[in-house]
Amino acid sequence: MEHKHTEHMHHEQKEEHHIEELEDQHHHESPVEDWEMKDWKRKLVGAWFFAIPVAVLMLIERLLMIEILPMKTMTIVLLAISFPVVFIFGFSTIKGGVRGLFTFYFNMDSLIALGTIVAYLTGVFSLFFEIQDYSGVSAMIMAFYITGKYVEVKARGRASQEIKKLLKLGAKRARILRGKEEVLVNIEEVVLGDVIIVKPGEKIPTDGIVIKGESSVNESMITGESLPVEKKKGSNVTGATINQDGILYIKATKIGKDTFLSHIIQLVEETQSSKVPIQILADKITRVFVPSVLVLALLTFGGWFYFTQNLSKAISVSISVLVIACPCALGLATPTALMVGSGMGAKRGILIRKGEAIQTMRQVKFVVFDKTGTITKGMPEVTDVYPNSISSSILEIAASVENLSEHPIAKAIVDKYGKRKLKSVKSFKILRGRGVEGKIGSKRIVIGNRTLMNEEKISIEKFEKIIEGFEKDGKTTMIVTENKKVIGVIAVADTVKEDSVKAISALNFQGYKTIMITGDNENTAQAIARQVGISETIANVLPEDKAKKIKELQKKGMVCFVGDGINDAPALKQSNVGIAMGTGTDIAIESGDIVLARGSLRGVVAAINLSKATFKKIKQNLFWAFAYNVVAIPLAVAGVLHPIIAEIAMALSSITVVTNANLLRKKRI
Amino acid sequence: MKKIKIEIAGMHCASCASNVERSLKKIPAVKNANVSILLNTGRVECEDNITEEELVKAVKRAGYNVRKITYD
Repeated sequence: MEHKHTEHMHHEQKEEHHIEELEDQHHHESPVEDWEMKDWKRKLVGAWFFAIPVAVLMLIERLLMIEILPMKTMTIVLLAISFPVVFIFGFSTIKGGVRGLFTFYFNMDSLIALGTIVAYLTGVFSLFFEIQDYSGVSAMIMAFYITGKYVEVKARGRASQEIKKLLKLGAKRARILRGKEEVLVNIEEVVLGDVIIVKPGEKIPTDGIVIKGESSVNESMITGESLPVEKKKGSNVTGATINQDGILYIKATKIGKDTFLSHIIQLVEETQSSKVPIQILADKITRVFVPSVLVLALLTFGGWFYFTQNLSKAISVSISVLVIACPCALGLATPTALMVGSGMGAKRGILIRKGEAIQTMRQVKFVVFDKTGTITKGMPEVTDVYPNSISSSILEIAASVENLSEHPIAKAIVDKYGKRKLKSVKSFKILRGRGVEGKIGSKRIVIGNRTLMNEEKISIEKFEKIIEGFEKDGKTTMIVTENKKVIGVIAVADTVKEDSVKAISALNFQGYKTIMITGDNENTAQAIARQVGISETIANVLPEDKAKKIKELQKKGMVCFVGDGINDAPALKQSNVGIAMGTGTDIAIESGDIVLARGSLRGVVAAINLSKATFKKIKQNLFWAFAYNVVAIPLAVAGVLHPIIAEIAMALSSITVVTNANLLRKKRI
Repeated sequence: MKKIKIEIAGMHCASCASNVERSLKKIPAVKNANVSILLNTGRVECEDNITEEELVKAVKRAGYNVRKITYD
């Protein structure tokens, strides 16, 4: 018994070890942030080790007015204990700041460096001249500054945690089949066409197609969909998803930069470098902020000295001005909120490509959906063939002609006919948005919609009732004609996605006007629209005219267009906010301001809500950052804030902004 | 035109990021530069004839270091 147990344990350990082997992280490449965090922590502990005695001494001496040491001795002691805080633990700040003063690349450090050095020097001078000693203050400012930075870096790390997880999501190694041997190689060595073996519990290393085996795969990390997806021979799989229960043999179809995950990462990184228009003012201010504050501090010093003749007070007030000003709150307000927002989105398969989209989203009035592939599944099936008695011959004729077209409806007709023999077709032509034509023997066959029949001047009178009936059921009808005479009608229907109804009712409830755009005729369009709860339809639209229709609508208000990224690219570009629906394996990067990893309409609602919530956070943050500086700086100039209080306020302001951005996560999308 | 991603070390505040941006934009071949303090990266759109030294020098001029340069 005992023995068996250990054997089992041993086996388990071995299993774990072998997964670890695959997931082995490159430890030497630890991110900057980890190192940065450790560094700030070291400085934090060191600085306070000396700053606490400084605080105690100052408290006893200055506040309680108890003289424990003669004045000069006290100053020397304070100078000695403050030195390590300012110049050792604050070394990088002093160095960077002073450097900035000379190279004219001012930053936050320049303000703190100047403030603390001046404060420290007052201590040195007080040994020789009649001047107030602020050396203790310099230590306190530096200690609080370091504390503020430490907390801020930590909060900033939290803000980008989802994105960082995404960056690390890719597998590091793959087990590939070389001849009959399994070899473990680094992911970079995998080439297209390699056969990869993925065992249960392992990460699928790259995008590919299953050639052997069956399993369920957890794709939640990429699509946000929590239910596992069944995979069998012929299924596409995505890199970084987790194989759950069976062994899969996968042929690599995409590697390196071309994988789905790489595309997602690229999108997310681009988001960060895109700007939200509202931040432009804040950015401009950030750029001139530090030099302006330096000038203001100088003016404050001059003013106070001129009017009060009190050098010590003038110095203290200008130090307050230097350390209270905080460009960080302004500069971090937008990027942190955007980072948290896009991270939350990425986790759910919503990729915000352009920061601008979240600002525009607020003003959107119309949400326009493309029908095929967006509201419906995009996989139409033949439901009816009329007349039924000679149906097979109608289907045979239609399938023979449609076989030469790539259109989904054509495919549906061919599929319905099955693998039987087709007739040979000559002079085949696609009539875009209307139908097809071709010749079987000497007979000219034209198959298409009402528009095409009108053009061809073919009377459909006899079939009108039948056609109308199909249309009222939301079916697309293809009228089959032979030598300008209708011989039959084929009805094709596309099933509505399960979540379309729910998503659209949510949008209607929020006050959006939902519209469906389609190439189908009015009857069919309205039938589908009714099924999902859309009030308005724009029917009979040729694919190339979708953008034009969007433009017309834009005269009445801002438009958000939802469509697949491939056929609808012009409409996506034309709309104010374009939401491109992914198909799960491919991602349309170039079109769409927001890209959804999977084709669920719930994603559209979530994307809209997320955009609005993120933008609200940005506005809040910018308001706080502006308000803080607008109130705090004048108070400092007026001399009502002690330098230490000023520094604490500064540290708190940037922490508040970053923390507030992190609070976005509490919002349910 | 090419797109370059620069990983930058030592930035710790919003004005740091705008300093690097300003310095990168001073390179004549650079058309656009965007620096993210949160990702510690800069994204540069520039003409093809740019050299890595130019980019490294620009980042150094603003007071920071380059960790890695990758091309899109």
